[in-house]
Amino acid sequence: MKRYGWLPALGLALVLGTGLLLAGCNSGTTTTTAPAVGGSTTESTAPPETGGNAANDTFTYAQGADPRGLDPALVDDGESSKVISNIYEGLLKYAADSTKVEPSLAESWQVSPDGLSYTFKLKQGVKFQDGTDFNAEAVKFNIDRQIPPKATADMSYGPFVYGSVKDVVVVDPSTVTINLTQKNTAFLANLAMSLAAPIVSPKALTDGSNSVMENPVGTGPYKFVKWNKGENVVLVRNDDYWGEKAKTKNVIFRIIPDNSARVLALNAGEVDMIDGIDATVVNTITQGGNKLFEAPGMNVNYMAYNTTTEMFKTVEARTALSQAINVEELVQSLYQGYSEKATTILPTFVPGYDATVKQVGYDPAAAKAGLAKAGITKVHMIAYSNPRPYNAATGATLAAAIQGYLQKVGVEATIDTFDWTTYKEKVKAGDFDIGFYGWIGDNGDPDNFLNLLADKDPTMNIARWQDPKYIADIKAALAMPNGPERDAAYGAMEKYVAERAVWLPISHAKTLAGYRPNVSGFIYHVTGNVFLSQAVKQ
Amino acid sequence: MSELELAPATDETFHEKPDNQWLEMWRSLVANRAALVSLAFIGLLALIAVFGPYLVPYNPVETDMAHALKSPSAQHWFGTDQLGMDIFSRVIVGARVSLTVGILAVMIAMTVGVILGSIAGYVGGRVDTVIMRLMDIMLAIPSILLAITLMAALGKGIDKAVIAIGLVSIPEYARIVRSNTLSIKENDYVAAARIVGNSNARIIARHVLPNALSVIIVRTTLGMSSAILDLAALGFLGMGVQPPQAEWGDMLGRARGFIFQAPYTLFFPGMAITLTVLAFNLLGDGLRDAFDPKSRVK
Repeated sequence: MKRYGWLPALGLALVLGTGLLLAGCNSGTTTTTAPAVGGSTTESTAPPETGGNAANDTFTYAQGADPRGLDPALVDDGESSKVISNIYEGLLKYAADSTKVEPSLAESWQVSPDGLSYTFKLKQGVKFQDGTDFNAEAVKFNIDRQIPPKATADMSYGPFVYGSVKDVVVVDPSTVTINLTQKNTAFLANLAMSLAAPIVSPKALTDGSNSVMENPVGTGPYKFVKWNKGENVVLVRNDDYWGEKAKTKNVIFRIIPDNSARVLALNAGEVDMIDGIDATVVNTITQGGNKLFEAPGMNVNYMAYNTTTEMFKTVEARTALSQAINVEELVQSLYQGYSEKATTILPTFVPGYDATVKQVGYDPAAAKAGLAKAGITKVHMIAYSNPRPYNAATGATLAAAIQGYLQKVGVEATIDTFDWTTYKEKVKAGDFDIGFYGWIGDNGDPDNFLNLLADKDPTMNIARWQDPKYIADIKAALAMPNGPERDAAYGAMEKYVAERAVWLPISHAKTLAGYRPNVSGFIYHVTGNVFLSQAVKQ
Repeated sequence: MSELELAPATDETFHEKPDNQWLEMWRSLVANRAALVSLAFIGLLALIAVFGPYLVPYNPVETDMAHALKSPSAQHWFGTDQLGMDIFSRVIVGARVSLTVGILAVMIAMTVGVILGSIAGYVGGRVDTVIMRLMDIMLAIPSILLAITLMAALGKGIDKAVIAIGLVSIPEYARIVRSNTLSIKENDYVAAARIVGNSNARIIARHVLPNALSVIIVRTTLGMSSAILDLAALGFLGMGVQPPQAEWGDMLGRARGFIFQAPYTLFFPGMAITLTVLAFNLLGDGLRDAFDPKSRVK
């Protein structure tokens, strides 16, 4: 009888679910659309809670998974990045509510007229959390370890951030010059990222006794205390911090893998803030007396044609299939208002976004005719089984919705669903007609998104589209200085791709987080990082 | 040769009178309220499985994104799922999938299990050891885990699910049939049949198995419930049917994210699984009581 163990659990779950439904009927949704700086209304009046009530001295943030590690050079995931953002700093940082770069460890910078060398004036008197000095040598040490010949294969973001770096020259202890091999307008934006760019204490890196992956040492507002794998990461205020000191003494990142469990922990008051939530739990969070943080997200969720297949190598075939899909209706139903319909690859707030770009429109009659002409009756789709930050409904559900639209125009679609790791292998292998993917922006630069379609790596460019004109345009635009001309160049590229129907952009997911009503001052950044140094609990 | 021809007739006298036995059993079953209701429910389910797909109000695999996640109403009795598919139609159509898979899987398990069990029990010795240790190894691994592993090796699909579920339940039949065979073969009528020169295969088929029939029937009934549950578990894990085909476990798996927001998407397929499994279990229990004279309901 052991095998019936899950039935009572199911029954309990059903009863619980029904109860919640009933509870949900008598009150409307009270969603606060907060600006990028959460709970800013109380910021001016809130005295810094230092000492006093012990409970208010600890801010607990719950996320879905352990960080992969805490050395910014060696990780590539968001869960690590959130913790890293509170321990380390880079030369530059993003503004609280955009991806505009601001000074951080560098006070000021100058770019040479040829755009190939960047000279940074560093902040003086800054110390790493291990007591060593932050200076130009430290900057050089951090960049040198991530560029050839020292760079290793496991440095995922090194090539992205420092790929164009030729060398680093220490001018004096507080001045450093970085020379590039080619012009790269995104370089400054890259230096503000939370992966690869944060500066780690050279002493900690050379010490050898401790790995920085598990014992991080930076210059940031919080110091690392301990990491209980699978449970939590504990940080404490860095009292020697050079800038405005952290308001809350302790920060704990708690690991709660299950989405529903994270919501219940917030409602029970066990944690102060949670992320990784979707539309299905919004009501539960607001009815639990908690607040919802909602902001546009820097991401895109898309469907891609494998342009190397016989079936979809022509623009006509791709257009015909895209015409069968009512993206607007689909986005509204699947994401229930927590994703915006994508009109182009770029999110609306990224420079270069062009509102005049039009994707293939919904037109089932034209789709039927076009598909008949192209002789398409069966397509093979592959999808990922788990939710992704840009697609809370999972790739499998998105694929099933598209399958439904295709059924209406007489095309039979088969869907093979895989877990994320296997899925990436399948994408690499290329045995599919239609695939689903997404992208989370790193630095707010349009190149970061649009370069995907020029990439040679099929795990990045899953459409396997190689268009010489597009690739040349991408290269040229990367070297252009920021401004209207560069934006226009990206606008033209967005149109070029849309006309060729290489992707069907689906949506841009909003960034959602839940937090206790007594919490304010946190920064949930558009890059997905969370900065807790100014967060307070009343 | 005349003795030999007489033998089968003499043999019959060792059996109980069949008519009387079945009738008494039926009476006992009818007297068991729970078992009777279960039997009626299973009958209804069988009718639904056969005729349901022709009577459903909506195409169970047609999406309607404009009407996704609608609560139960006059138009959609059980509501609609995330893709706007009618849950009532899908639950009805799912009955056919579950029953078909249940029956086929039980047939596989029963056929193989009965053959292996009766050989092991009747022949004994080294053959018994080899077969039963193999069964013990299979039993040592949780059956659903074994089924998942098999599915991983065979690939996804409902046909593979039938094979996987069938294979993992073989040991249960083999053990039951073996133990019954062990006691039945000690009976005088088996010895008599052997003395008059019947082959082993004939003895097993004519004398051993008919006497083990009652336990096999009880086992298959209970086996149906575990097969349906296993299928639901595989579907829940996304290893069952190819979308958009309707299957209860698969529906439950897809809806699990909506437990807070739209619990009806879980409730109805969950209820279908619960009631069906419960019905087969209660019927199985009723049959066991009915077959066992000592616990027969008077």
